[in-house]
Amino acid sequence: MHIKDLLLEIGAEELPPKSLAHLASALADGIRQGLQDKELEHGSVSWFATPRRLAVIVRNLSVTQEDKQVVKRGPAIAAAYDEAGKPTRAAEGFARSCGVEVADLEHMETGKGSWLSYKYLEQGARTDELVPAIIERTLAGLPIPKRMRWGGNVIEFVRPVHWVVLLFGEDVIPATILGIEAGRDTRGHRFHHPGVITLSDTGEYLDRLAGEGQVIADFDERKIRIRQAVVRCADACNGQALIDEDLLDETTALVEWPVAISGTFDEEFLKLPREVLIATMQSQQKYFPVLGPGNGELTADFIAIANIASSSPDAIKRGNERVIRPRLGDAAFFWERDRKQPLEYFKSRMDKVVFQQKLGSLADKTARIENLGEYIAGEMGINPDSVKRAAHLAKCDLLTDMVGEFPELQGVMGRYYALESGEHPEVAQALDEQYMPRYAGAGLPQTTTGRILALADKLDTLTGIFAIGQAPTGDKDPFGLRRAGLGCLRIMIECALPLDLEDCIAHSAGTFPDEVNAGAVASDVFDFMQERLRRYYLDDGVRATVFDAVQACRPTRPHDFHLRVLAVSEFLQLPEADSLVTANKRIRNILKQAGYTRESDPDEALLVEETEKELYRQMNAGKTEANTGRGDYIARLTSLAGLRDYVDAFFDEVMVLCKDESLRNNRLALLSELRKLFLATADVSRLQ
Amino acid sequence: MTFQDLIATLQQYWSEQGCVIQQPHDMEMGAGTFHPATFLRAIGPEPWNAAYVQASRRPADGRYGDNPNRLQRYYQFQVILKPSPADIQELYLRSLQHLGIDTLTHDVRFIEDDWESPTLGAWGLGWEVWLNGMEISQFTYFQQVGGLECKPVSGEITYGLERIAVYLQDISNVYDLVWTDTGNGPVSYGDIHHQDEVEMSAYNFEKADTTSLFRWFDECEAQSMMLVEDDLPLPAYELVLKASHIFNLLDARHAISVTERQRFILRVRTAARAVARNYYEKREKLGFPLCT
Repeated sequence: MHIKDLLLEIGAEELPPKSLAHLASALADGIRQGLQDKELEHGSVSWFATPRRLAVIVRNLSVTQEDKQVVKRGPAIAAAYDEAGKPTRAAEGFARSCGVEVADLEHMETGKGSWLSYKYLEQGARTDELVPAIIERTLAGLPIPKRMRWGGNVIEFVRPVHWVVLLFGEDVIPATILGIEAGRDTRGHRFHHPGVITLSDTGEYLDRLAGEGQVIADFDERKIRIRQAVVRCADACNGQALIDEDLLDETTALVEWPVAISGTFDEEFLKLPREVLIATMQSQQKYFPVLGPGNGELTADFIAIANIASSSPDAIKRGNERVIRPRLGDAAFFWERDRKQPLEYFKSRMDKVVFQQKLGSLADKTARIENLGEYIAGEMGINPDSVKRAAHLAKCDLLTDMVGEFPELQGVMGRYYALESGEHPEVAQALDEQYMPRYAGAGLPQTTTGRILALADKLDTLTGIFAIGQAPTGDKDPFGLRRAGLGCLRIMIECALPLDLEDCIAHSAGTFPDEVNAGAVASDVFDFMQERLRRYYLDDGVRATVFDAVQACRPTRPHDFHLRVLAVSEFLQLPEADSLVTANKRIRNILKQAGYTRESDPDEALLVEETEKELYRQMNAGKTEANTGRGDYIARLTSLAGLRDYVDAFFDEVMVLCKDESLRNNRLALLSELRKLFLATADVSRLQ
Repeated sequence: MTFQDLIATLQQYWSEQGCVIQQPHDMEMGAGTFHPATFLRAIGPEPWNAAYVQASRRPADGRYGDNPNRLQRYYQFQVILKPSPADIQELYLRSLQHLGIDTLTHDVRFIEDDWESPTLGAWGLGWEVWLNGMEISQFTYFQQVGGLECKPVSGEITYGLERIAVYLQDISNVYDLVWTDTGNGPVSYGDIHHQDEVEMSAYNFEKADTTSLFRWFDECEAQSMMLVEDDLPLPAYELVLKASHIFNLLDARHAISVTERQRFILRVRTAARAVARNYYEKREKLGFPLCT
C-alpha cells in the first residue's frame, strides 16, 4: 500500500486566541475537502494549534490518485461513416482529438443509440503535486475576519508567518506557502527552545515538540493539562477552582507550555460584589478565581496560567499579585463612588446618552420601556407598579463607573445598586433579569417583573432597529436581534405567559415618535419572530412539518403556538394519525377542486347514506367533548382521532361530488366542518 | 534602574539597531503615534526607523496627583520600524533583556490587541505585551494611516515607561519612582511631576475655558484645511494636533455630548486624512527622497 502521513505546520507570530481553534479546524476541514475533491484516499485528519502555530496531520494519505478508466463519447455511428462506410470528417476529427486513428475507436451502446467512443486509462496524479494547490485554496478561504500585511509583503494572513513545514512521510513537498518556502524545520517554545527542530519524519512532530521543543501542540491535551493544573493549584490553596469554559479555551490558546501559578490579593477586596471580583480576575487578567471550601464564597486566591517553566515561579507570582492590586483598587473606588448617590440619580443624566442616533437617548428608551412594560402587565392582568419602577431604573447602571469599566456587568450592578438604594428586591432582581437569557440556552428571568422588563426591553430594541432599517442580514446582526427575538419567545413560551406577540409589537411600535414610522415594520418584526420560532423548534428536534401545520393557523400567542405544537407532536404518535392526515389532505383537495366556499352548516336532513349520518353524529358528539377544555389541544386532537374509522368509511362509501347539487353541497359542508375541527389546532394536512 | 537610565538604555539599544533617535515633538499630543516621526513617516513608500520619548497627554486621566498609577501626562518610548523587519518581535524581546528582564524567569506574552485611532483614521493589528500579567508595551503593525493603506507596513512599538520603571524598581506608587540619583540624593518622579499633575488636573477638569476651547477648535480645523490647500502639510498637521488636544480637553470637561463626540472625532479625522493625502503628494513630488 502506498500511503504516508502528511504534515502541514504554519508557524506565525502570536495568533488571536479566541478564534484559534476555529481557525485550525477550518484549516483541517479545507484540506480534507480538497483531498476529497481530488479523490485522494486518506485516514484521519487532525488539527493542532498553539499561539504560534496551526498544524494539520493527515494519516495514511495515498501517494497518488487511483488510475481511472475514462470513456470519451464521439459522434453517433450514423454520423460517423458515409454511405461507402468511410469515416466522416466528424469521426476523423474525434479520433484526432483523442490522438488515435479512427480504427482504434470503439463503439458504445446506450439506450439512446450507438456512438463512437474512445477508452483509455487516465493515470492518477501524484499527491505531492496536488497538495500545494489544495493548501493554497484552503488558506485563501479561511474564516479570518481581518487579514493583515507586514513588512514589504503583499501576502496577507492572520499574523505574520515565519515558517512552513510540509512533510509527506519523510519528504518535503516543495511549495511556497504564504510567501515562505516549505521545509522540515519547525521551532520550539519561544523562550525555552527558540532554535529549529528539524523533522526527519512526520511521525516525530508531536513528540519532538513536546520533548525538546517544550510545546504541547495538541489543543485539547493542553486544555486538559491546564484544567488539571488549575484544580491542583486550587487544592493547594484549600479551595475549589471556578473554571469558566470560555476562559479555559482562551488560556489554552495563549500558551504553548502551561504552568499554573497561584497568587493572592488583599482580603479587604472581598467586600466587593462577587461578579466584580470575577470580572476583574477573568476578563481583565485571565485568572481563575478560587472558591472557599464548602461555602462557595470567593477567596482571596487566584490562579494564573503562565507560558514558561520559570527559573523563579515566585517572581511571576509576585508580578501578577502586583497587577491585580491596582485593578481591584480601581474597582473598589468605583464601588464607593457609584454608591454615593441613589441609583435613580443617574436617571437625570440619561438624556445625554445616545441609545441609537435615530431612536433617541437612553431616557427616550426608558420612557418607551415603561410604557410597553405597563401595557404587558395590563395584558397579564397584574399591577404594573413594580414593572414601571424597574423600567424607570432599568438603564441607570449604564451610567455608573463600574459598568463603564465592566460593560458585561450591566444589570448585575443595577441589582446591587438598587438594593443599596432601598428599592424593592423584586425591582432590583428585575434589573439584572432584563438581560436574560444572556446567551443561547442561558437561564430565564425568575420574577414576573423581570420577565416583563426583559420582554419590553428586547421588543423595544427589535421594533426600533427594524424601523431604522438595520434588521439582520446574512451573518450581520450587530444589535443581536436574533438572540433578542429568541429570548422573547423563550420567555413567553417557557414561562407560559399568555401574551399576544402581534399586539405587543403593535403596542411597541406605537411608542416611537411618528417620524420613525415603526408601525410600518410591525409585520416584518412579527415575521422575523416566526422565523426565530421555527429555528427554536427545529433546534429542539421538532419536525418542520409540525411547525408548518401549526403556523398555517397563524396563532399569534407564542405560548398558544407551543401548546399546539405539543398536541400535534403527540397526535402524530397515535395509530390513527396517518390516515387522518391523508383524509385531511384529501378534504383540502376536494374543497379546493370544487371551489367550495362555505355557505351553510351541514343539514342533517340532507344526509342520505348511513356512513355520512354516522360521521355527522360522531362529529357533533366529539365537538361538545373537545370544546369542554378550551385550549386543550391534546384532548381535541385525541377526540378527533376517534373519527378515523368514520372518516375512512365515509370516503369508502360516499360519493362526495355526486350529481345532485344539494346533496353535493351538503357533503362539502360536512367535510368543511370536519376540516374546521382540525384547523382549530393545526392544519394536519401539512403533516405528510 | 532609574527612570533616566531606563530611557537611556532604550535609546542606546534602538540606536544600535539603526534607529534615528529623535526628540519629543514640542506640542501636546495623546500618544507617541501622533508624533510626525510616526504618523507622517508611516505614510508612503519611504523607509524609516526611529525611536524617541514622547510625553502623552490624556486630560481625562488626571487624578490630581492622588492615584498611584493614573496620570494626565506620562511618557511613552516609541519605536517605528518601516518596513517592519521579520525579526521585530525578537528585537523587542532583546530590548527587555537589556532592561534586565529575563524571559526565562518572567512570563512575557503577546496578547492580541488590535489598535484603532478613530481621530487619525488609522488602524493596525498586534498585541499588548504582558509581563507577568501586566501590560508593558503595545505592538502594532499599521495597516492604514490617515485613511491611506500602509505600503510597506510599519511596525510600531510603544513602551509604557512608568509601568516598566515601577516594575523594575519594585514600588507601587508612580510618584515614588527614582528618576535619578544625584550627588545630593535621589530625585523622584513626584519631585518632578506631582505639582504638575495637581495643577493640570484642576485646569483640565475645572478651569479650561470651554467657550475658548470650542472657538480654538474651529479655528485650528479651518486653518489646517487652508494650509492643506496651500500645500503645507507639516504646519497643517500641527493644527490637527492642536485640534485633537483641544477636543480631549473638551472631553475631560464633559462639554461634549455623546452624539456630538462622534462628530468631533469625525472632524479631526477628516482633517488628518487631508493632511495625510497632502503629505503623500508632497513627498511624491519630491521623488520620495528617502527611497534612494
